[in-house]
Amino acid sequence: MTAAISVTTIVDVDRQDAFEVFTRETDSWWRRGPRFRFLPDVPATLRFEGEAGGRLIEVDEAGSEFEVGRILVWKPGELLRFEFRALRFEPGQTTEVEVRFEPVPGGTRVSIDHRGWESLAEDHPARHGLTGPAFDDMISVWWGDLLVSLLRRAGLRSA
Amino acid sequence: MAAAARHIDDTFAALADPTRRRVVELLRKRPYRAGELSGAFGMSAPAMSRHLRVLRNRGLIEEQRVDDDARIRVYRLRRERFDELQRWLETVESFWADQLSAFKRHAERTRPRKRR
Repeated sequence: MTAAISVTTIVDVDRQDAFEVFTRETDSWWRRGPRFRFLPDVPATLRFEGEAGGRLIEVDEAGSEFEVGRILVWKPGELLRFEFRALRFEPGQTTEVEVRFEPVPGGTRVSIDHRGWESLAEDHPARHGLTGPAFDDMISVWWGDLLVSLLRRAGLRSA
Repeated sequence: MAAAARHIDDTFAALADPTRRRVVELLRKRPYRAGELSGAFGMSAPAMSRHLRVLRNRGLIEEQRVDDDARIRVYRLRRERFDELQRWLETVESFWADQLSAFKRHAERTRPRKRR
């Protein structure tokens, strides 16, 4: 089972630039507010630190940090893959985000797949409506790739 | 929210089984009688009945009487349960869609345009 959640856009810059903006200017474009940030109550910076083996972290001014996940694949201009953990995930639980950069006539197609929902244990508290920063809404209702795929295949989505 | 989460857990548990997933796919097209379903799957009536009970107890399908004959019942999908799933999917998708559009604006503002 592969892609769970997929979104895509075409950006009017070349793929190296697109990759650089995504990974080196993350804090400038990553939206702010509790829906999008992990440390939403204080001014904080979200950044990819290092390359493969590095981390995606959010750090506040006092120096406390939240590690979103490790960087798994780092291929400038092509492919980025990183772990994605929200605040309430327990050790060993993670989802995975893959970002692909492909050249197209209008610029670069940037596609994001977010998968691995099945790694959250069935009794995980994050699945049951606790409120909190970025992604709690989403993980409060845990879901498996399997089901997402079923919904797609069966056309049960109205979209 | 908690109720919706609970429902979605139920939905997942019910659909963890491949036969039940295929039943759901069939019921998407039209209501079926239990006998038609066991026939379609080459399965004994009691075995199919167990699957239907799980789907019904978890709220994914419901039994309905056919107008003129109380003995005949058909099973149909409960659409609302799938609508909850759809809303969850849309929440996650809109998270990334919003991020990507913010990313696109920033990239196109700060980098040379490739086109033209």
